[in-house]
Amino acid sequence: MLRKNFVEYAILLLFKDRNDHLFSFLIFSFIVFILSSVLFISDSLQYDLIQSIKAQPSIVVENTRAGRAYPMHEGYVYDIAQMAGVSSVEGVVDGYHYFAQKRLWFHVIGDAHLAKDEMLIGQGVQKAMAELYYEDEFHFLTEERLINVKIDKIAPKGTNIISNDAIYLNPNTARAVLGMEMDEYAKLYVTVPNPNEVGQVALKIVEIYPSAKATTQADAIGAVRHVYYYKGGIFMILYVIALVSFFILLKNQVGLVYGEKKKEIAILRSLGFCIKDIIALKLIQNSVVSVSAYLLGVALAYVYVFVFNAPYLRNIFLGSELENSISLTSVVDFNLLFLIFLFGVIPFLAFVILPAWKIAISDMSEAVKS
Amino acid sequence: MSKIVIQNLNKLYNPNKPNAFYALKNINLSIEDGQIVILKGVSGSGKSTLLSLIGGLSKPSSGEILVNNQNIAKLPDIMSSAFRHQKIGFIFQSFNLLEGLSVYQNILAPLALTKLGKEAMHEKVNQAMQLANIEHKKDQNVGSLSGGERQRCAIARAVVMEPEIILADEPTANLDKENSFIFIEILKKFKLLHKTVIIATHDTLFDDLACIDRCVQMRDGELLE
Repeated sequence: MLRKNFVEYAILLLFKDRNDHLFSFLIFSFIVFILSSVLFISDSLQYDLIQSIKAQPSIVVENTRAGRAYPMHEGYVYDIAQMAGVSSVEGVVDGYHYFAQKRLWFHVIGDAHLAKDEMLIGQGVQKAMAELYYEDEFHFLTEERLINVKIDKIAPKGTNIISNDAIYLNPNTARAVLGMEMDEYAKLYVTVPNPNEVGQVALKIVEIYPSAKATTQADAIGAVRHVYYYKGGIFMILYVIALVSFFILLKNQVGLVYGEKKKEIAILRSLGFCIKDIIALKLIQNSVVSVSAYLLGVALAYVYVFVFNAPYLRNIFLGSELENSISLTSVVDFNLLFLIFLFGVIPFLAFVILPAWKIAISDMSEAVKS
Repeated sequence: MSKIVIQNLNKLYNPNKPNAFYALKNINLSIEDGQIVILKGVSGSGKSTLLSLIGGLSKPSSGEILVNNQNIAKLPDIMSSAFRHQKIGFIFQSFNLLEGLSVYQNILAPLALTKLGKEAMHEKVNQAMQLANIEHKKDQNVGSLSGGERQRCAIARAVVMEPEIILADEPTANLDKENSFIFIEILKKFKLLHKTVIIATHDTLFDDLACIDRCVQMRDGELLE
């Protein structure tokens, strides 16, 4: 068991060498800050998207032809509604409109609650339109005509993760904007009350319409996770850890093997410190440095992401051409934080302790003479 | 009774290499409890190597070193370190202080391995500082001390654990005459405290000192007693 006097002396020596440890502390805090920020943003966006998927019906059906989205008619709605286990099928108008003046794509969604000449728009859309002075009304330019629609409402900021680039229109107006026929749908929302039957119903839909794609909630959640695991950067994490750990390794190796640090170990050995004591001393000192740097990095990342909304980094993850001013929901995945701790603190300690051990086992007589 | 008995001691550096050489050759020496012994000889004669072997800082190639009838040459690290901690006080030519710490904090270093309370540690450090006459500098950083003061700080640290044996390697080599005499005064205190002291030196100041019990001459790793 570690003795109180020993721990206090280890801390005393740590403060004596605070300038040497400051470099490692700052670099390590920075790595943890970057990694934690990436994970916080990724987790927060994943969480919001998954919550929005959970609010959707059990299965979303889309049709394709030659690999491209292709509209579905009322016959699809009727056939799917007849399937065992399906309680309702809702046709949805959904597509993208190109806003040529700003070179942006807006997500157009049909909403039966809206009148033919009014629309609800997301905050990103509102900003883009306002830049070209479309403040009360917007003109959709189609191949055939201009469609004038009143800007009725702006979606609240809290829904930005979904609505930032969205325009909600009456379904028929949306069809006109997207160039669809009056009885056509881009998506079908299928409700299956029994969760155990969802997979089976999705398979049946694809059997009847081989060109259709039936995405269950589980598939959609899996897709979001896949995207964010990639973007969240398992590769980025490993790359950054490997790179910066390498610098810490070099710094500590050089600092410990050469010069005063070697002599200090030799002096302590001459005073009766055994090899185990030297390793314990270095372990205590570097645990204090690495754990405090880790906690600082995580705390700074939390403030950066959830208080300041992650300026600069946020847009990388949202991947939209429209400026998105969403508020990131505070979600902390302790498993991933522990993973950062494991991948960060343990190599940090190992890179210090191994050289210290190597010095401690060597013949001290020359070192104390110099 | 012999405090230290050295039998057939050899130290070979760089074994199995072209530059292998014997730093110590077949050393046999016996030192009584409470004796002050001078190891004399030119640089490279093996004095420092012999001190580091007696202090357990390095291991001999062959032979025995018995301290209080215990062979320290074969002890594992944890035991030889404990032996060094409790029985040996080192005083080095270059003082070997922990730079950046105060005098008090330097002297405290060996006590970090003990379970003593704050008061007891404070008392031991104070006693050691009084013996070495350095208590007036206790809060001063060792970097700002003169050579003589640094030496006295090193002495206080060496005696803070109240060791039975004190090993001094060229203790006056970096001191002026005045500070060398101060060291001799401290040496006399060691004599009164019945410490066994071995000093490796080529300083003539130690010749004919009344407190010196024995002078051992070394050359090329051999004793010329």
